Amino acid sequence: MKFLVTKDLAYSTLLKNLIVGVCIALFFYFILDIILHGYVVGFEFQDIFATLYGNEEEFIEPILIDSLLLQVHIDLFMSLLAVMMIASIYIRLFSTKKMTKWLVHILFLLSLMSPITLMVAYLSSQIFAFVWISSFLLGHLLAMIMTVMIVKKLWLK
Amino acid sequence: MKNLKLYHIPIIYMILYAIALLATGVWLFLLSQGLAGSELFATFSKIVKSPASKSLHNFIEVATPHIFAIGILIFVVAHFMLFSTKVSQKFSLRISITLFIVAFLNIAAYLLIIFGVVVSGWVKLLTLGLFVLLFLVLLGMVAFSL
Repeated sequence: MKFLVTKDLAYSTLLKNLIVGVCIALFFYFILDIILHGYVVGFEFQDIFATLYGNEEEFIEPILIDSLLLQVHIDLFMSLLAVMMIASIYIRLFSTKKMTKWLVHILFLLSLMSPITLMVAYLSSQIFAFVWISSFLLGHLLAMIMTVMIVKKLWLK
Repeated sequence: MKNLKLYHIPIIYMILYAIALLATGVWLFLLSQGLAGSELFATFSKIVKSPASKSLHNFIEVATPHIFAIGILIFVVAHFMLFSTKVSQKFSLRISITLFIVAFLNIAAYLLIIFGVVVSGWVKLLTLGLFVLLFLVLLGMVAFSL
């Protein structure tokens, strides 16, 4: 991350456009990630519960722990890289604002909570499935808002 | 640079993420070796005696994303040591290079089992244990440097 904190590049047009590019890519990544999880886990509560716990009436078996853990493992890696990039750029651009510290904390907490609560929901109860849905959607929404704020700030500069 | 302390936040969460990644990775490996059907120590002894058989296809499927992801993760975590004033760069270099080598050996260990060079799975267990231990040391160094 040294290149993001070097003052020499503060006025570089190339760096500005590169950051805009990566933020647009990350914005679409978060949208597609929501859709992907919809396909894997389910779009509606009934589908999500059927995926995690099965449904005897419809002869649906619960998802295998190996498959779910693999998804959680991949999610952790992907969100680490994506959220680290957004947070680093956001801190650089909005370091003087008081809200920055809390926004970055919330973004990381929601993104970290989401894969962990999905696993906890599978192993324990439905309540955690609601926590997973909330943290997953809120985390993705916040990340998207932050990318829009970064792009807006850079384009209006 | 104003508010440099703000950059500590992503680094702290990165450490937590890395620990969660290591934990889920080890859990996944143990599940693939039959943890779901037996206890932890029984699984370890099973891995040592007769590790789960894998085809070359299975190996490539697992090794490809891991060699990319582990390489990136070691780089991202270790590059923070460039800014450390508490740990020498020489020591950070040694740990990082050893970690890269152990990660490579850990990924390649199953090749030895597939091609029958070793029958026992102790090589895989040993390299996995070493990798996790060294990664935790590196994460500790980053945390100590904050």
